[in-house]
Amino acid sequence: MIVAGCDVGSLSAEAVILNNESIVAYDIIRVRPRPEQSAEDVMGTALSKSGLSYDDIDFCVSTGYGRENIPFAQGNVSEISCHGKGAQWLIPSVRTIIDVGGQDCKAITVDENGDLVNFLMNDKCASGTGRFLEGVSKTLGISLEELAALSLKGEKELLITSVCSVFAETEALSLINEGETLSDVAAGISLAMAKRINSLVKRIGIKNDVCFTGGVAKNPGVVKAIEKILDVNVINLPEDPQIIGALGAALFARERAA
Amino acid sequence: MMDESEVMKIFEEVAGALLNPHIDQWKKQGKKVIGYNCSYFPEEIALAADMITFKIRGTGCTETSLADSFLGRTNCSFTRSSLENLLQGRYDFLDGAIFTYSCDHMCAAHNNWAAQGKLPLIENIIGVPHTQTEHGRKWIKEEFSKIKEKFEEHFDVKITDDKLREAITTSNETHSLQKRLYALRNKDQPPITGSQVLSVQVAESSMPRDEYNRQLKTLLEELENKDGVPEFSHRLMVSGSVIDDPAMLNIIEETGAMVVADAFCFGAGKALRDPIKEKDDPLDAIVEKYYSQIICPRMFDGYPERLSFMLDVAKQANVEGLVLQNIFNCDLHGIDNVMLETDFEENGIPVLILEREYNLLADAGRIRTRVQAFLEQIRR
Repeated sequence: MIVAGCDVGSLSAEAVILNNESIVAYDIIRVRPRPEQSAEDVMGTALSKSGLSYDDIDFCVSTGYGRENIPFAQGNVSEISCHGKGAQWLIPSVRTIIDVGGQDCKAITVDENGDLVNFLMNDKCASGTGRFLEGVSKTLGISLEELAALSLKGEKELLITSVCSVFAETEALSLINEGETLSDVAAGISLAMAKRINSLVKRIGIKNDVCFTGGVAKNPGVVKAIEKILDVNVINLPEDPQIIGALGAALFARERAA
Repeated sequence: MMDESEVMKIFEEVAGALLNPHIDQWKKQGKKVIGYNCSYFPEEIALAADMITFKIRGTGCTETSLADSFLGRTNCSFTRSSLENLLQGRYDFLDGAIFTYSCDHMCAAHNNWAAQGKLPLIENIIGVPHTQTEHGRKWIKEEFSKIKEKFEEHFDVKITDDKLREAITTSNETHSLQKRLYALRNKDQPPITGSQVLSVQVAESSMPRDEYNRQLKTLLEELENKDGVPEFSHRLMVSGSVIDDPAMLNIIEETGAMVVADAFCFGAGKALRDPIKEKDDPLDAIVEKYYSQIICPRMFDGYPERLSFMLDVAKQANVEGLVLQNIFNCDLHGIDNVMLETDFEENGIPVLILEREYNLLADAGRIRTRVQAFLEQIRR
């Protein structure tokens, strides 16, 4: 059976095509102005990578903030359930999933079937999200990848105290002006992110194993900071952490098609 | 979702705006409309003076740029939205307004309503004690008497005991009709959605009361002979901070669930009150209703009664989940919701805690995602 999942978020869109137990193809794009356009573009590329067409897909589930506007999806599931499902399918021992996307950050707990047990999301604030990291890297004049690499090299634990992402950016700039190195500031930013995430995860309660999904999980500096602040071992995912929502949607598509 | 009856449309129109043709017509006859802010306002006193008692709402307010000059961002957005409506002249149809000291946000709002000097009587605030004591009962009776005198003086009317008794009969009739409406929600297939029920509840304080009671009777006759909504995924209860906008419940119901029960002030807080029992002094009877019966976390010692009331409502409506929402910075409900979450979950009813702004424009997507995930969580 061939199924697909499409995750249209606030910053990026992902599509995953699943054939029985294996991922046939996936794609990640920056979102377009309209969710249906993002969905069609990202699914179009994933299909061409796999050599399949829309007609070959038995069932498709959409997720993410744009999930209700995807013309080719037969159903939609919240991104909260999808991240849980996708991560637990890849690593069956996972019970806690930290997902940090473009505009929100979630702590999710699941059972042995990957079904949702509990969840918490941050509320209406860019602090501790991908958009915050983008803002900071722009302010510092470096790429996201450079920010991540620099963060690993940081030696000092600089404090970024503001809980507001706009003020945190200003705070980072002040530290640079005071003569702190870019790598120490970058490490301070990762630590600040981890602290925001920590307060959310602590409220829901950590159950091992823990994994980290979403675009921000690709930043090894933040992963390292999370392991330190939360005092956990974050299990590495065997797939790109950014496609887990779409993968979960594909898994729900498989359940619904059956 | 279901066929709209003509009378339902009336309630929805009245709930959807501040000013409506019923108020217009009323005012053309030279009659008065008095605004009030909270369920502790003794509406029978105003009803006895033949007024419309209008419960203040934030309806129609999409941004609070003027109100933000007076109230800080730490004040809840409901109080800021209703102040904005005042500042924008949307409450110019009121002939006066009286606030009760319900919570600190409301008190801050009252200071600013009063400072505007736009409405007669607004300088008065009814002090409601936070605990139930014999002394408090005497105090609140004095407060109510003073307000009655202010009404008599300002509007040049005489509110006799007989008029108060008539008003009690009218308001008891409203409660018994609303109770019938709420009983319909307990059915396996309720004939009315949660957002429609809220429109009916909000309309209560935006229409002449006799007309409201008459229209509600008509609606009940229709609904009691109507088939219910056949398909919905879950039976939900919603409680917490003030909700005066049916769109809030509509967002929840758009996920496929049905809101079959509630416990917030515009809803069950009004509908499921016991009728006022007759006493020698009608003011004593009114005090009994307002001092002993209102389910609101502003009362410091009322949690056990509130919980048991809410559990009863939940059980009667056979709810599968409870959404405890609170407007940002609404500390009373924010704290209450934490306790309710634990107690409801111990009683086997899953809970979603939802923080939101009063204005739904910015929040609809966030709310929908959380409610959908909550339904996915309890679906198993």
